[in-house]
Amino acid sequence: MTMLEWTSAALLVAGGAFFLAGTLGLLRFPDVYSRLHALTKADNLGLGFILAGLALQADSVAAALKFVLIWPLVLAASAAVSHAIARRARQNGIRPIQRP
Amino acid sequence: MKFDRSRLSALLFRGSVFTIVWWILAEGHPASWGVGAVSISGALAASLLLAPPSGTRFSFIAGLRFGAFFLLESIRGGSQVALAALAPGRLRPGLTSVVIGLPDGLPRVLLMNTLNLLPGTVSIQLEGDTLWLHVLDRRQAIEREVAIVETHLARMLLIERST
Repeated sequence: MTMLEWTSAALLVAGGAFFLAGTLGLLRFPDVYSRLHALTKADNLGLGFILAGLALQADSVAAALKFVLIWPLVLAASAAVSHAIARRARQNGIRPIQRP
Repeated sequence: MKFDRSRLSALLFRGSVFTIVWWILAEGHPASWGVGAVSISGALAASLLLAPPSGTRFSFIAGLRFGAFFLLESIRGGSQVALAALAPGRLRPGLTSVVIGLPDGLPRVLLMNTLNLLPGTVSIQLEGDTLWLHVLDRRQAIEREVAIVETHLARMLLIERST
């Protein structure tokens, strides 16, 4: 394997690890608000690593940029959706769990 | 529509952005420019209808610095959540509120969306100038972190932040 392929593989594995951590957080965090943190932050970072890994393997500059373009688009959607869920949860009177 | 300078520059700027996005989507295939011209014009018309040019200015250098800051903070935020997922008992979640100094409109929308992606904060609701946040760890210096993001956005959009 070339250096580029090793780097790409390392990025893909790192991305998978963050997706796993995000899913673990989704299952283990105490309330809806905390779970949003797991989804927005860990998964977005995981996606970033996977896209970077794939971009390194792309055939052309345009194809690589296409992978890079996906990141801000998904980030914008994920930020807006998590805000919408959090606001609705608060309007419905769901209280965040607060530990001392 | 009057074509004063700010409108014309908004038109040129958005047109170039959509053209670049199309070039990326079509992976530069020359045969796609026919469909591309229709798509780009459609996107331009939709953007002018939904978000008319409002004289928003933008500092490119500050934008790059914000991008670098955002990347580093994303890594910190993702790692923080990943560690917390392994040991959820260490979480100290809760609600908190901060008073924000950015003006209404685009700056606040950007601030709330950015905070959702940065370490430990999810923005819940804006009441007047008070922003309600959910935080993963109430021991974090939330006010200072929000102020840092605000300063970045203010520099990028060339606006003043009232404190």
